[in-house]
Amino acid sequence: MREFKDPRVGFGNALLAAAQKDDRILALSADSSGSSGMTPFRKQFPDRHIEFGIMEQGIVGYASGLATTGWIPFFSAIAPFVTARPFEMFRNDLGYMNQNVKVVGRNAGLTYSDLGATHQSLDDVAILRTIPGVTIVCPGDPVEIERAVQAAVVHQGPMYIRIGAPSIPVLHPADVEFKLGKGIVMMEGSDVTIIATGTALWRAYDAAEILRSKGIKARLISMHTIKPIDRELICAAALETPAIVTVEEHYLVGGLGSAVADILGCMPGPHAPLKMIGVDDQYASNGPYDELLGLYGLLAEQIVSTVEGFIGRKMPRS
Amino acid sequence: MNALRPEETATLEAAALRIRQDILRMVRAGGAGHVGGAMSCADIMAAHYFSILRIDPAKPNWPDRDRLILSAGHKCMALYAALRQRGYFDESILDTYGALKSRVPGHPVMQKLPGVEANTGALGHGLSIAGGMAMGLKLKKSPAKVYVVMGDGELAEGSNWEAAAAASHHKLDNLLVFVDCNGLQLSGPTADIMNYSPLAAKWAAFGWSVRTIDGHDFGQIVGNAREAPFEAGKPSIVIANTVKAKGISFAEAKVDYHYWKPKADEMARAVAELEAAAVEGLKA
Ligand SMILES: Cc1ncc(C[n+]2csc(CCOP(=O)(O)OP(=O)(O)O)c2C)c(N)n1
Ligand SMILES: [Mg+2]
Repeated sequence: MREFKDPRVGFGNALLAAAQKDDRILALSADSSGSSGMTPFRKQFPDRHIEFGIMEQGIVGYASGLATTGWIPFFSAIAPFVTARPFEMFRNDLGYMNQNVKVVGRNAGLTYSDLGATHQSLDDVAILRTIPGVTIVCPGDPVEIERAVQAAVVHQGPMYIRIGAPSIPVLHPADVEFKLGKGIVMMEGSDVTIIATGTALWRAYDAAEILRSKGIKARLISMHTIKPIDRELICAAALETPAIVTVEEHYLVGGLGSAVADILGCMPGPHAPLKMIGVDDQYASNGPYDELLGLYGLLAEQIVSTVEGFIGRKMPRS
Repeated sequence: MNALRPEETATLEAAALRIRQDILRMVRAGGAGHVGGAMSCADIMAAHYFSILRIDPAKPNWPDRDRLILSAGHKCMALYAALRQRGYFDESILDTYGALKSRVPGHPVMQKLPGVEANTGALGHGLSIAGGMAMGLKLKKSPAKVYVVMGDGELAEGSNWEAAAAASHHKLDNLLVFVDCNGLQLSGPTADIMNYSPLAAKWAAFGWSVRTIDGHDFGQIVGNAREAPFEAGKPSIVIANTVKAKGISFAEAKVDYHYWKPKADEMARAVAELEAAAVEGLKA
């Protein structure tokens, strides 16, 4: 049986562990420290936990100023409110000023399923991808979350880490190699490559296993870093496997699929075609999380049939 | 009561005049610029860079330096002029104003020029950044202070009020704001465009210690800055009443000179006026 873990707890514990080793780390809260997993940090380091109340735009500016004096602020709150709401502050105060601030958007994607489109975050990766110099990481399992936090402390510069809320299974061994900007090949295969990220990873993982049980050898890549993206791994997949399918809990515009398309679109010579699974141009609905995922084809069985249909319909390659 | 000795006042007057002359120099180089707001804060900037700030131009990244954040980034010609006069960079750079890839763009960029502390220009960002600096310095037990220069029109940006509340909540008494209150913004009088009066009462209600001064009186600018924090445990703010485009007689207090593209002979007149003021200063 695999083990499921709460991503916010995982983030909070990783932050606490990092802060025990590095006294430059601060936790910034917008009236939501507890639900962002930062209660253990607040208890152990009350002086390094700063509560601002509900002022996400201002907090991004404060974080920038704090970083100029040598601190490493981690600002965690609900994903749309740390990305879409303070977008210009993110762009100017963190990006343009190139400050060492780590913004963590939690309850990203559809995970605030019942709260509706104001609280869901399907555009955060798209808008932040436009900011030069911002690293965007969507960890896909508890191990990746821990590694992403560790990498964020080492990496100099603004970073966005995107996590969900419902528990997700451990997929990686504890000693998996995790490098910013490098995708992880989780399954080798030659019939199709599935590239998945973040909250969508584990359902893509399940889909890949089902496909394999049906005799379709799927390659599975966890693309935890969307920016800078692992061009080499994508190009290799486009040459070595006859089809690529991306899976993400995000709009098709501007997310993982679009980043992969940017690369494939400029690739010379024959290469694999691309199918993107995600949410198309609409405000997502509301309801139980699993049912909502089902509306957008993000459940494992749906991913399987989309992949099968795509490979079946695809023109044979010469 | 004047906080300054006569010779100190004379030094600041001369520095401010040089700032105003350098602003004209940049407008000449670039053909246009945000001259009104730069001129109105020239005395405030001179007072900071020649008296108030604890800075060392040879060590622009000295961790315990005082910081000045020009939140109203469009006033940057005054900042560039002050920095170059303090020797942060060679004055020839001013002549690149408006040129491709100039190090002195229409809004300041910290990566381009030593002494610039933040990439402002989008109004309503500076106070949050400065608040973060003040907080970060306090947490490090640094003696450094953080100074902010804002426009009065800029205060209509809601983000300022988030920043203001947080500064008082977190007791940032190492933070001192000067509002360059010239009564005008881009398209008209601040009172008509979006009225924020009574300004002092608003800041006081946000937990700040407020004083109102004549923003062209060096004794008042420096004297009040030296007395900050005005109350222990509170951030301080000086509402400095100023005249927009101060120093160019035909432009003073006129909204048309917010952004100035000199008409034929206007530049020569402005240069001559400042030249005359310089001669006057030498005689005094
Ligand atoms: C967010 C934002 N909106 C609009 C502008 C364009 N803008 C530049 S200066 C200015 C007026 C500012 O007035 P004030 O703060 O009073 O400055 P002054 O020039 O009078 O010193 C405006 C609207 C801007 N720079 N930033
Ligand atoms: Mg004004």
